[in-house]
Amino acid sequence: MTRRGRRVVVTGLGAVSPFGAGVKAFWQGISAGVCAIRPITLIETEGFRARIAAEVPDGIGGSTRRSRADRLALTAAREALDDAGLSSAERRDAALLVGAVGGGMLEVEGWYWARRRGRLAAGGGALRAILPGSHADVLAWRLGLDGPRETIVAACSSGAASLALAAELVADGVVTTAVAGSADALTRVCFMGFNALKLLDPAPCRPFDRERRGMSIGEGAAFLVLEDRETARARGAVIYAELAGHGMTTDAFHVTSPHPGGDGMVRAMRAALETAEAVPADVAYVNAHGTGTLHNDRIEAQALRTVFGEGGVLVSSTKSMIGHTMAAAGSLEALATVLALTHDVVPPTVHLDTPDPEVPFDCVPTVARVATLPAAISNSFGFGGQNVTLLFQRAC
Amino acid sequence: MLRPVVVTGVGVVSARLVGDGQALRRFLAAPPAASPRHVVDGAVLAGLIDGAEARRTSRVSQLALAATRLALADARLDDAGAAGFILGTEHGDLHSTIEFADGYLRTGPTGLSPLLFPNTVMNTMAAATTIAVQARQLSLTLNVRTVGGELAIARAARAVASGRLEVALAGGVDQHDPLVAEILGELGAGFEVRGEGATVLVLESLEHARARGASPVGEILGAAWRGLPTRPHGVGRRVDSTAITAALQEAGLEGDVIAWVYTSASGDRARDAWEEALLERALGPQRLTLASLAPLLGQHAGLGALRVATAMWTAASGLLVQPVWGGKAADDRTTALVPVAPGPGLVHGVARGGTHVALVVGGPP
Repeated sequence: MTRRGRRVVVTGLGAVSPFGAGVKAFWQGISAGVCAIRPITLIETEGFRARIAAEVPDGIGGSTRRSRADRLALTAAREALDDAGLSSAERRDAALLVGAVGGGMLEVEGWYWARRRGRLAAGGGALRAILPGSHADVLAWRLGLDGPRETIVAACSSGAASLALAAELVADGVVTTAVAGSADALTRVCFMGFNALKLLDPAPCRPFDRERRGMSIGEGAAFLVLEDRETARARGAVIYAELAGHGMTTDAFHVTSPHPGGDGMVRAMRAALETAEAVPADVAYVNAHGTGTLHNDRIEAQALRTVFGEGGVLVSSTKSMIGHTMAAAGSLEALATVLALTHDVVPPTVHLDTPDPEVPFDCVPTVARVATLPAAISNSFGFGGQNVTLLFQRAC
Repeated sequence: MLRPVVVTGVGVVSARLVGDGQALRRFLAAPPAASPRHVVDGAVLAGLIDGAEARRTSRVSQLALAATRLALADARLDDAGAAGFILGTEHGDLHSTIEFADGYLRTGPTGLSPLLFPNTVMNTMAAATTIAVQARQLSLTLNVRTVGGELAIARAARAVASGRLEVALAGGVDQHDPLVAEILGELGAGFEVRGEGATVLVLESLEHARARGASPVGEILGAAWRGLPTRPHGVGRRVDSTAITAALQEAGLEGDVIAWVYTSASGDRARDAWEEALLERALGPQRLTLASLAPLLGQHAGLGALRVATAMWTAASGLLVQPVWGGKAADDRTTALVPVAPGPGLVHGVARGGTHVALVVGGPP
């Protein structure tokens, strides 16, 4: 499939990350190679092997009657819209696509825990926000977005899928503007589940390191404003990058393990190149899914080698600094990729002390790298074998 | 340029209807009366899933998988490798999430099941199904209150019409659970006619269907989804529908062509009244015949997809299936077959919170 329809550009950025609210804090943190993974404070961790995560610090604002995840989403989406400078009339017809997994589960867990332990269960109002789809309804209401509205649950690739689907709506001319991204707050279910699967490293994760022992979890939100390029130019918008291609595939192999040959990952990356009418040599940087688990990193490296050739691109993992932010990962890492393009700086992979020989790429250990980046991709792979690759090009 | 999109296969697993397109047509030709209870018989579901799959997958995933297999067989599509999979759901596998949490609450960290954890992510039904039928293109799970099925069909129709997919398997699924029922009560939706089940349709470009000799049961002439301004979980006041306008525009039709609508009415009185007001404003009040399938099969995400398949039957047969729920007594429940003008009709859904879907549906091209 080749590039089709209108060209889609990024004109607004917003984030809440373990470095705090705002795109500036996010970029300062990841470009400086700061690790935000620390002991967990939001939920009880007694009796678990891994007890760390990358939490968003206090001060995200918003009504505490809303779920934490709703507030993360609202803060990030509002920043993106303000950054794009869209008027309320321009917002009205904009599409809203939100990637989500946990919804308001953190607050519902509090209610359910108390109820099961026989205590008077206050906070039943939290049930209203339990569904992942809650974020979209809150954002639409608060930000005045009445265009096509969707909530995509694609596990850890939810955020990237929301951006890909939004780009399709813009490219097809269904809308001229879309707000897309994702959000997730830390939840007990997520923390306990990855502990149960023994996929968490008790220390901060070390993607692509030979001694890696698993992932770290995190939370956050990021939203991007996507626009038809001609509309953006006509209104004099700042264009950060072009979302030139994307690929979405399914392994159809296993619920939690990627296809051992990386088949679905390869197809997603090749589809992204094809839709962007690009060749592998056009891509200088890969913001990897890079979770820090033994198998994922090895299989992703194998897939990268198949597509780009050994050592063909710079590769780094933002998760080494902010953990795996679940649904939010795809959009936070897309944001990191866009910022890398705009600054010509590749954020590093921290805690990478002993490169794994099975990962034959320069994974930018510890310190960010200045590099000319005409195009870059962001990979997101999730439970259920859901693979999404986004290809961004420098704005022109 | 959008391509014509047709439906070539139907799979339904619900409380009172299990089967393919032919079973659906038989059911619609002699529909039963409305019913207050809509739970899928466990023995019937077990007959559709092999033992190994039953051990590996949760009940809601089994519902999705069984409906998908029925749809693929109905479409005579042996290889699903080129198909995308788009599934709408309201509650996902909340039952497994509760079971997973209960393991911890009973015995602490040692009570946690690593096998249950993946089911807590709402895409678990899509994952189980794509693995089982080997669908290897995009897989999407769309979460929204009450209109997940029609939203999935609309999204799939767009993917096929735009040429991004040749074949899409799309529909919806939900499972009834006592805690879910309690939650719905907390949300003020306790009066709805709720149910469970899955419906999956096979969508193809007309060209693709013809090339492989498939027989379309109907055509999706236009599809659009939008948001309406309202508080989260609330019912709005605005009654101008951009979704209906956009769907009609895509179909190349004027509103006065539409004489009948399958709505998402489910007994939530405020939401149902809002939907009627939206339809009246968009299509005119006097001449419309409205019907909801919720009293017949219970509101669940699969019902949106079933409404699309039913609308195709109505477009071809000129008979609208109109269940009536007059009151609590069994005598007050009937289902009428109302004659309508054959030709295109509308499938419409609006959810609390404002997600709004419209599909213009016709009979076989």
